[in-house]
This record gives sequence, C-alpha cells and structure tokens, in this order.
Amino acid sequence: MLAFQVQFKPGIPLYEQVVFAVKKAIVSGQMMTGDKFPSVRVLSQELRINPNTAHKILSALVDEGLLEVSPGIGTVVAAAQPATKKQCGELLGADIERLVVEAQKLGLDLEDVEEAIKEHWKRIKRGRL
Amino acid sequence: MSHVIETKGLTQRFGKTEAVKNLTLQVPQGSIFAFLGPNGAGKTTTIKAFMNILEPSEGTATVFGVDSRRLGPDQFSRIGYVSENQELPEWMRVGQFLEYCKPMYPSWDDEFCEKLLKQFSLSRDQKIKSMSRGMKVKTALLSSLAYRPQLLVLDEPFSGLDPLVRDEFIRGVLELTEQESWTVFISSHDIDEVERLADWVGILNQGRLELAEGIASLQARFRKIEVVVRGEGTIPKTLPEHWLTLEKAAHTIRFVDSRYAENETEKTIPVHFPDCAGVTAQPMSLREIFLTLARTYRLVA
Repeated sequence: MLAFQVQFKPGIPLYEQVVFAVKKAIVSGQMMTGDKFPSVRVLSQELRINPNTAHKILSALVDEGLLEVSPGIGTVVAAAQPATKKQCGELLGADIERLVVEAQKLGLDLEDVEEAIKEHWKRIKRGRL
Repeated sequence: MSHVIETKGLTQRFGKTEAVKNLTLQVPQGSIFAFLGPNGAGKTTTIKAFMNILEPSEGTATVFGVDSRRLGPDQFSRIGYVSENQELPEWMRVGQFLEYCKPMYPSWDDEFCEKLLKQFSLSRDQKIKSMSRGMKVKTALLSSLAYRPQLLVLDEPFSGLDPLVRDEFIRGVLELTEQESWTVFISSHDIDEVERLADWVGILNQGRLELAEGIASLQARFRKIEVVVRGEGTIPKTLPEHWLTLEKAAHTIRFVDSRYAENETEKTIPVHFPDCAGVTAQPMSLREIFLTLARTYRLVA
C-alpha cells in the first residue's frame, strides 16, 4: 500500500499527478519526516506505471527537496525546507493567476474563492489531517 | 541505444496471404514496447518470426543481435515468452512443471520463484489440468520470470483474464523492474491494458507498421487543438496533412495536430482560419493519441 493516493486523470502527465499527490500527502501529514518512501519497483507496481516514470518521479521529488536519499535505508521524506523566493513567487504569481482566471470565467465572487481557499487551508494543514 | 529486437524488411507469407509486410522495427533495450494493432493485424505472426517459430519468407529478424533462424539455448535462456494460447503440460503439477523448466535456465532463481508462487497464490501441489485459465496464465508467467529474463515477450497476455488476474500479472512483470537493461515486448489489441506501462509503441495494421515511436516524443508532437472562429467556421479545402480528425461544431473547430510545435501551430492557424478568435492547445494522453491514429489509419479488425 502507498501512503498517498492518485486518481489518474487524462490529459495531465502521470508524473506530474504523482508528484502532486506526494506533496499533498506530505503537507497533510500522511507522510512525515523520516518516513520511508517506496522504491522504484514498489512505486511502479502499486501504480502500475512504467519503471522509468517511477524513477523520474523519485528523482523529481529528491530534486525538489521533498525526499532525501538516506544511505542504507533508501529514500525518506526530508525535513521541511524553507521555501525559496522563486517557489513562493511562482505560487503567488502564476498559480494564483490561473485560479483567478478560472474563477472569473465561472463568474465566482472573490468571497466565494476566499471561502474555498480557507476551507482547503484548514483541511490540509501540515501535520494534521 | 542498442536494439534487443530488430527486423529488416520482414515479410511473412502463408500461401498467397501476406500476414506481415516488409516490416522494419527496432525495439530499444530497456523499453517496455507496446505492439498494438487490431486482431488479425499480424502481431502474433511477427512475434513467431523473431522467436524462430516461423521462418521469415523475406527479410530478417534478430534478437540480441543474433539472426532469428540461429537462436538457440544461449538466447532462449535469456528470453521469457508467454503467449495467448500457451500450452502447459496438463498432466503435471505446478511444482513438477517448475522443476522441469529449471534445468534449462542457468539463471533460475529459487528464492524469486517462491516469492512469485506466493504472490500469484499458486501452490506446487496444484494440478495444471484442473486450473482456471487465469491460474494457467500465471503459471506460464511465473515459469518465464523465475530466471529473470533480459527480454520478456508477451503475446496478448491479458485477453480473457479477469481484472484481478490482470492486475496480478502486471505486478508480476514489474517484479523485474530493478533488473538492469531489461526489455518487455508486449502485444495487445487494447490500449487500455498498456497505457501506463509502455514507453514505446508500435502500431501494426494489416501487416504493415504504421508507426513506432517513444511515448515522450509522441506526446511532445501531438496536441488537441481547439479554434474558436467568429464567422461561419467554414473549413478550407486544403489544410496541413498533419492536422488529423478535423471536426466542427458551432463556432468551434477541433483537430489533432500531429506535428505540434509551440508558437508554430498558433501562427499557422490564422492563415487557414482568418477569423480565428482564440486557440487552445492541450496535451494528449497515450490513449487519446492512439484513438486518433486508429481513426486516421482506419485500423480494422
């Protein structure tokens, strides 16, 4: 069993979907610092994905600092890293912009969006499920 | 990149019928290669040709660089082969069958064999004769995995299997993941079965190879394009040939660009649709790409 869930959706690369699912699991405390992360084999078996894709997922998560390679143990969940300016900039810039565009397209009010953000914020607070 | 399987101008005739026509195919080492095509396209015939079950009428096939007609124990002990109509010695029990296979494979791994028996919920005492189809397929796969082959050839392995067995089968195949330079060649008429597994696809249609390409490259060049036009949305008579499956509804024109290049495509569209008001380009899943190609090539069973 994996400590995170992915419901694959068409149109988005598999690898992005899994990386996002892992981030969400870490942020919400389903996986904590030091927890062992599945190997390429287990990941590909559990998700029935190509081993090369599984390998790419692991490398991406290590590169982003969410996982670290621990000698003798394998890959484990890394301690939370202070966010870089670039990462914050991306989230508060392009990602929020996309949300605002979609929300306005659907004719939502700012209050609706704020409310929804608050709700998700509470639900997925680091370390609490 | 070296090629584990390679065919050059491979033609296979049965009487006057050409089942495989001038097939030139390369299967890169380390890939999971999905060999797709409708029933009767010539997939099994191709496999039989490079596995030295049939002698090519024309052209050549090599496996591990050896001509298919010269394949012997040295090569076969490194190949796992499970076919749709695999025959097993019905009078044996699972254990007897495994003991019978073992001496033929120097790399047979007893520990791995036990692990697979457990994973597949098979026991050595079971009589092959009295097993269900799913159990027989699992037994066949087990006997082809236990020596950790460098090449696994699976011919329509999932047909007629229930979802649970199919799942066990895929997990079993992926047990070999940690092995280096390990290649899987899997034929199927159903994209759903292999969508997430494959990183290369070949499409065979009426004995001809329509396409053989890495999935990353396919996904890079295929986009679903949606054009919104202000006017009537008349479709011009001449459009680029690589725009496939063009459709129109109200003010929307939708097609698949099979040679998408960022900005290029966006620039070309107003040339053909002068009253274009907006263009979106969306990436496609392997399944969507396959369905587009199936329509374009008119894949027929």
